[in-house]
Amino acid sequence: MKQLILTAALVHLLVLAQAQAKPTKSQAADSIPEVQLAEVKVYGLTKNTHQQLLHYYTANQAATTEDILARLPELNMIRRSSYGMEPIIRTYSSGQSGLLIDGMRIHGACTDKMDPASIYVEPQNLQSVQIQTGNGFQSGSVIGGTVNMKLAEAQFDESRMWSGSVSSGFQSAANAWYETGKLNYSGNRLAVMTNISWRKAGNYRSGGGAVIPYSQYEKLNYGITALYKLNEKWTTKADLLLDDGWNIGYPALPMDVGYAGARIAALSWRNNSRMGNWQQTEFKLYANSIRHFMDDSHRINIPMHMDMPGESRTYGGYASSKLMLNRSTQLDVKADWASTFLKASMTMYQQGQLPMYMLTWPDNNTLQSGLGAIFSKRIDSASLVNISARADVFSKSLTTQMGKDQLSVLNNPVSNIIKVLKNIAVEYSYRFNEQLKLKTVLSYSERMPTSSELYGFYLFNAFDGYDYIGNTLLKPENAWKAEANISGRSGVFQYGLTGYLSRINQYIMGIYQPGLSTMTIGANGVKQHVNLPYALIAGAEASLIVQPDHSLWFINTTRYSYGEDHLKQALPMIPPVRNISSLRKMIGSCAMQAELELATAQNRVSSKAMERKTSAYAIAHLRLMFTGSLAGNPLRIDGGVENLFDQAYREHLDWGGIRRPGRNVYLQFTYQF
Amino acid sequence: MKKFIQSPLYIVAFLSVLFFSSCSKDAVEPDASLDYIQLASGFATGTSTHVELYATDSAFTGYNKLYVLLKDSATGKPVDKAVVTLNPMMDMTTMSHAAPKENPVSTTAVNHFFPCSVSFIMPSTAGKWTLGIQIQNLENGKSGTVNFTINVKAPASDKIFSFKSLSDNTTTYFVGLVEPSKPIVGINDLELVIYKKQSMMMFPADSSLSVIMTPEMPTMNHGSPNNVDPVHTINGHYKGKVNFTMTGFWRLNLKLKSGSTVVDSTHYIDITF
Ligand SMILES: [Cu+2]
Ligand SMILES: [Cu+2]
Repeated sequence: MKQLILTAALVHLLVLAQAQAKPTKSQAADSIPEVQLAEVKVYGLTKNTHQQLLHYYTANQAATTEDILARLPELNMIRRSSYGMEPIIRTYSSGQSGLLIDGMRIHGACTDKMDPASIYVEPQNLQSVQIQTGNGFQSGSVIGGTVNMKLAEAQFDESRMWSGSVSSGFQSAANAWYETGKLNYSGNRLAVMTNISWRKAGNYRSGGGAVIPYSQYEKLNYGITALYKLNEKWTTKADLLLDDGWNIGYPALPMDVGYAGARIAALSWRNNSRMGNWQQTEFKLYANSIRHFMDDSHRINIPMHMDMPGESRTYGGYASSKLMLNRSTQLDVKADWASTFLKASMTMYQQGQLPMYMLTWPDNNTLQSGLGAIFSKRIDSASLVNISARADVFSKSLTTQMGKDQLSVLNNPVSNIIKVLKNIAVEYSYRFNEQLKLKTVLSYSERMPTSSELYGFYLFNAFDGYDYIGNTLLKPENAWKAEANISGRSGVFQYGLTGYLSRINQYIMGIYQPGLSTMTIGANGVKQHVNLPYALIAGAEASLIVQPDHSLWFINTTRYSYGEDHLKQALPMIPPVRNISSLRKMIGSCAMQAELELATAQNRVSSKAMERKTSAYAIAHLRLMFTGSLAGNPLRIDGGVENLFDQAYREHLDWGGIRRPGRNVYLQFTYQF
Repeated sequence: MKKFIQSPLYIVAFLSVLFFSSCSKDAVEPDASLDYIQLASGFATGTSTHVELYATDSAFTGYNKLYVLLKDSATGKPVDKAVVTLNPMMDMTTMSHAAPKENPVSTTAVNHFFPCSVSFIMPSTAGKWTLGIQIQNLENGKSGTVNFTINVKAPASDKIFSFKSLSDNTTTYFVGLVEPSKPIVGINDLELVIYKKQSMMMFPADSSLSVIMTPEMPTMNHGSPNNVDPVHTINGHYKGKVNFTMTGFWRLNLKLKSGSTVVDSTHYIDITF
């Protein structure tokens, strides 16, 4: 493949797409849809068994990780800024689903969810995205599913000791620069990859021309990863990933970020052999520390200046392996453990007075240990059964007397909270023929209330304008979920259709407490997290890929979501019907791509959450890709215009009624050596 | 401990730690963790007793917890049995008046201290405060008085206020703050003391009122949840809970009622920490 890359990159792209399009044989890959980004170092492309369609959307070398994630049908992005969009699975909240980086738990240090862990992964260090939905608790007790962003690894390359790439680009809407560099060393037993990327964006121009203030940001992401072959079977891997962000504006929130930093380190050992009873055994130890400093010093007309620092520290580890019981039966087991410390505070300043100090996350620690297993049995050549089970023990505690004293004003217990969470799922797949494959999953799962839901202290939510307080009496949510998927291919067509329905009992939601006085100046009131009897979440995702020949692709995805509470009222943050189409035509060493994004209006909104309605929109993008060579090495040029007709629009999950970027012309050069 | 003013006190405090567990639970006992300041000292005439007056802070307008330490003038040993009577008096040249006070409840000292209190109702800038301490030394049988001049400072914000009852427009009450003396972010014990002005010299404790307390942060316009209104316990002391959700400047708004009649709703006590 390497030779193909070096000679004719676009041909390679096609070959690769074909390779990816073949249904994979592995049982595990069957149960975990995986969006491959294996060739990121060349194209920034994503592929997938049932979603190779992503390939198109992310062909853009200038894309951010968020741009890539936003194209995955199972993911929605909550947008508070052009930076730090929060990926959620379907319409499950971030507390209901898991977001892991290379299997590691990373808890944001921001009480306002400005820093989902996905911001620490740049496209060039992202290898693939694994999304588990139906039985999505293999890496944690979650009811919505788990997204695991696998980090790119150093590659062993016998032909070259040193290789790398540099890339530089500009985007007009935000006057943004995006520069990256990557260097790979490949020795006999040791391979090392180091990369750096820098982004700097100004305030962006929204559709129609209005500049959105406080939408700027600057960030540096850098890391090093090394693989060392211990012997024939065992490899050890070390990762160090660092991320620094400065002056990050959040136009939909009352505060910005002065500085945010992440330090992520991991050490793992893995058995690559596919022989013997125990296969693909992996042990991993990791630690991460996140620091976050919110800042309002650039804002005008604020009633009171305040500082809001937060920190998060996690230590964890896991061991996983596959036990091959016989040719048709296997058991995947994973034991994991993590300890997370969180603390956040707020200091308010008023001239001539002592500072006002409070803990917004009273110092708290979460200790989680879990054990999960998937039993897979191939019954015959057409049918496969998977049974997954997982149990977690959670211990959550307030770690300082000050934190306990402060939280006790809410009149709820401040003692340790210990819960045992149980999950089970049964999945059955049946392959009728090449045209039709059916997969059904029925699952029961539980999830622990988050630290904000338990301990949050007057956390202002800019979405509905309420202060939120925690509730240490919350019970874990539990959910029954049914999911069915049919997929297949016929001639030039390839399709997939998924439907899901879940009933979440003890549904955790903030409910207005009229008797309580707000803390934030101008807030609408105080809401406390409580367990509601239940809520229903349902939806469907469809994809169609048409590939008449190797130079023409058409892709179409549609998704629909529905949510209601026990009073049959709409849940907030439910996106409307959304459809994305893309057509790519290749001519010689050029590719042209036209995209159309459509969304219906969302008028079914939650009045309790003060949610605003969102209008329908249609936006179009045009992209061009060219691959040439310079001094014998490939040079790639990506250019295009996003939001071609400069539509003024916003998506339903965008906070604050803030419009998205208008017409954006971009150009990115990537040179490989 | 190094902040202790003088060595005898150090010993007293040390002993109080040693005997802490043997102390009677209902007595107001000096807190060994506090630093005591000597406000005044002198001999009570004709008693062979040296009188020392301590507090945890210099005297201020408001409810002052005081500790009287008696020592035999010959041996220097503490006198633990005595009747101690306080007589605070303010001389304002044209007139003079007393102040609300609480004599020690027992004739036996607690860790050698006789806990008591005076609620100074004005600062010394308005006149001259004298605190007469009358001693009846039960160990040597002698009685006498010592007079201390006390410099009463006005705190940054009032810890005591007076009001004329709205129901009769004549009765004057004094409301003083006892607790929280060391406020924290969290649940704090709230203790108020209420005295009725019977004459310029008589300020008996009053148990007839009910109190509604609403804390707020005037700068931010918010309150706090789950406060408990103070209710009368004993000797004009009203106890409840006040919750602070952050540090800074808090105002305890007080509404006082006699039965269902509001007798005052215009006063507050500020606490900044
Ligand atoms: Cu933040
Ligand atoms: Cu405040």
